[in-house]
Amino acid sequence: MKRRTLMQAGLAALAAPALAQPARTIRFVPHASLAVLDPVASSAYVTRNHGFLVWDTLYGIDAQYRAQPQMVAGHGVEDGGLRWTFTLREGLRFHDGEPVRAADCVASIRRWGARDAMGGRVLALAEEIAALDDRRFAIRLRRPFAMLADALAKPGSIACFVMPERIASADPMRPFGPGEVVGSGPFRFRADEFVLGARVVYERFDGYVPRAEGEASFTAGPKRVLVDRVEWQIIPDPATAAAALRAGEVAWWERTTADLHPMLARERDVVVTIPDTLGFIATFRPNHLQPPFDNPRLRRALLPAVNQADFGAAIAGTDARFWRTGVGVFAPGTPLATEAGLEAMRFDLDRARRLVAESGYAGEPVVLLAATDVPATAAMSEVGADMLRKAGLTVDYQTMDWASVVRRLGSREPPARGGWSGYFSSWAGLDHINPAGHLLLRGNGSAGFIGWPESPRIEALREAWFEATSLEEQRRIAADLQRQAMEDVPYIPLGQYFLPMAHRRTLSGAMQPGGIPLFWGVSIG
Amino acid sequence: MLAYIARRILSTIPVMLVVAFVVFSMLILSPGDPAAVIAGDQATPEDVERIRAALGLDRPFFVQFAEFLWRLVNFDLGTSIFTNLPVTHMIAQRIEPTVALMVLTILFSVTIAVPMGVIAAWKAGSWIDRAVMVFAVLGFSVPVFVIGYLLAYIFALELDWLPVQGYTPIARGFWPFLENLILPTIALGSVYIALIARITRATMLEVLAQDYIRTAKAKGLGTRPILFLHALKNAAVPISTVVGIGIALLIGGAVVTESVFAIPGLGRLTVDAILRRDYPVIQGVVLLFSFVYVLVNLMIDLLYTVFDPRIRY
Repeated sequence: MKRRTLMQAGLAALAAPALAQPARTIRFVPHASLAVLDPVASSAYVTRNHGFLVWDTLYGIDAQYRAQPQMVAGHGVEDGGLRWTFTLREGLRFHDGEPVRAADCVASIRRWGARDAMGGRVLALAEEIAALDDRRFAIRLRRPFAMLADALAKPGSIACFVMPERIASADPMRPFGPGEVVGSGPFRFRADEFVLGARVVYERFDGYVPRAEGEASFTAGPKRVLVDRVEWQIIPDPATAAAALRAGEVAWWERTTADLHPMLARERDVVVTIPDTLGFIATFRPNHLQPPFDNPRLRRALLPAVNQADFGAAIAGTDARFWRTGVGVFAPGTPLATEAGLEAMRFDLDRARRLVAESGYAGEPVVLLAATDVPATAAMSEVGADMLRKAGLTVDYQTMDWASVVRRLGSREPPARGGWSGYFSSWAGLDHINPAGHLLLRGNGSAGFIGWPESPRIEALREAWFEATSLEEQRRIAADLQRQAMEDVPYIPLGQYFLPMAHRRTLSGAMQPGGIPLFWGVSIG
Repeated sequence: MLAYIARRILSTIPVMLVVAFVVFSMLILSPGDPAAVIAGDQATPEDVERIRAALGLDRPFFVQFAEFLWRLVNFDLGTSIFTNLPVTHMIAQRIEPTVALMVLTILFSVTIAVPMGVIAAWKAGSWIDRAVMVFAVLGFSVPVFVIGYLLAYIFALELDWLPVQGYTPIARGFWPFLENLILPTIALGSVYIALIARITRATMLEVLAQDYIRTAKAKGLGTRPILFLHALKNAAVPISTVVGIGIALLIGGAVVTESVFAIPGLGRLTVDAILRRDYPVIQGVVLLFSFVYVLVNLMIDLLYTVFDPRIRY
């Protein structure tokens, strides 16, 4: 024990008889500043993580990615799968003391549906969503949708969080402020202690009723809170965050950086682990609307140019425990992950050069947008630009901050008129566990996500996956989807990487499944 | 004098208007988009457009500028695009750490740097003079963040004397408040000390070569009164000018220092707001900094009359 710690412990011991039991507080360093408090208006991961403290969901998913009832006691399906009736558990309350009503759930589903792709699908399929009474609501569908509970359980951004009707009725395009952060989740947001970019405070919500049965698993099961307070301390500098963890000023750091692993691993009182086997997926997204990547032969020619190990090492360091190669369109280790079609990505630079030459590529400049303020993106952009040059492409490498990249990506103009040809980015593995939330695995052209690939076959397979009634059938479709993705190349997976979390040994039960730090079941000694 | 002060204060109005226009234009015309940041990584361009429309960011430049000016005239800095919190509230939340850091740094730096410069000038050419100059060069050359990391490593991690990061408001006790600010003050003060010490030394060398100093020595006056009563008072005008100019240096340095020591001050608020393109917050903070800078310059000008009675306004 060091001097200052000893002194503080001594003072605390002297004062102990006169003081009440101190609050059990977890001081946590999130991976980013919490800028938007509304988890429906923003798809930022840090906002989603904040969402899981404050709000609850109708369904959760367990460690096997199966939907499990969370706020609902259960549901009934009638009329050949066309009518779903949901019943809320008893005793659910919002943090303002009001009971959770079916009308709140209906308004929340509508708000979620206006922002989320999966939610949009639910709204499109729903003929009617209506409250039957205070505890029951029903969704009448135009055609059967077996995955309705899975959709409502979706943990990735954007999750279907249940809010009071008065808040859920607000425009989902305008993020609400601290005063509207009212949920029915296990923690209550302290608006009075919120300092944007510095501190976010949550208190245990004593009115929360955990599910009575089962064990907590991912976002499902009983959410039993074992601490009084959770304080998020925004520490933008990784070296300072590491020092604060070593000094015991914070107990849990969500994402360490590769250069600090060795130092933290040597620390006796600190544990460094990979908390999330889904990790992150590095990707290259070409612009399908403009030359040169409107040429499918050129897109296919890039596949053998990819050495996923190069990207892993650049992002997460040379320790191969922190990255994985052989990654396709679904996150490794998840039920739909497959090797089908991946032979097209066998690394062979000579073959890539030959295919580029044969593709009809005429030397048009490839405008790459590289965000330099996101370390992983900056690293993969450097490696990716080098890869494209080695494959024989002319690269115009343009660096900027992420906010500028996002603005520029909205342009569908040719690269010479302010458009772009390609960009590199990371996705949480959780977003790539199935086709539902996988925005890059679409072929809906100009109506789709940035890059706008058009592939009727991918869209047809995606639709078939939604209709599939067994996991076996889903797997077969997933394999076909991956083969088709290697043909149409809507994007290129560049590997999976992991950013370990670190915490003090005094903290137990810390988990970050799917990249979501969960604060229930966590205790601090 | 009062007429001069009133004139100077009135002259800040056009300055602030120019600052407001330049800042607003630069923000609107620069790349980046708050709507895209709000929407998050997984949003489509259509989502971003809808958010931009909902926030009124798609309106013409002059409409937005006119609205901004109207609010400004009504002493309303607007609300954050991201949190809906009033900018004045956000500034109020962050002003204490920055003011505390700056005041402590100025006090610490002037207390150290002025005697250092005076002694260096008095002992010009000696090892003391050289040591002061080496320190000054180091202070200028080593970036604030490097000094910050070094101090945190030695005094927080190795010796465990002080905390690594954070801030405790003064309302929670003077020592908790002070212990969080000791390392940031030393780190931020290093450049400032170097600057003031060099100017003090140079000015004092000039003053010490004057006839009246020789006369004072001939009269048998002691070294201390000569240095600190006669010479320093006459050297005070350029020194106070540098102290004033250095406030701008401190504002820039505070951004880095607050990031290294995770102090929730205005510097970090500014950087975060710039990265997010939170226009009202950036405008509010830049206007505040500009106003403070203008005010500090006015105070320095008024101080000249105290140090040199020949100066009249």
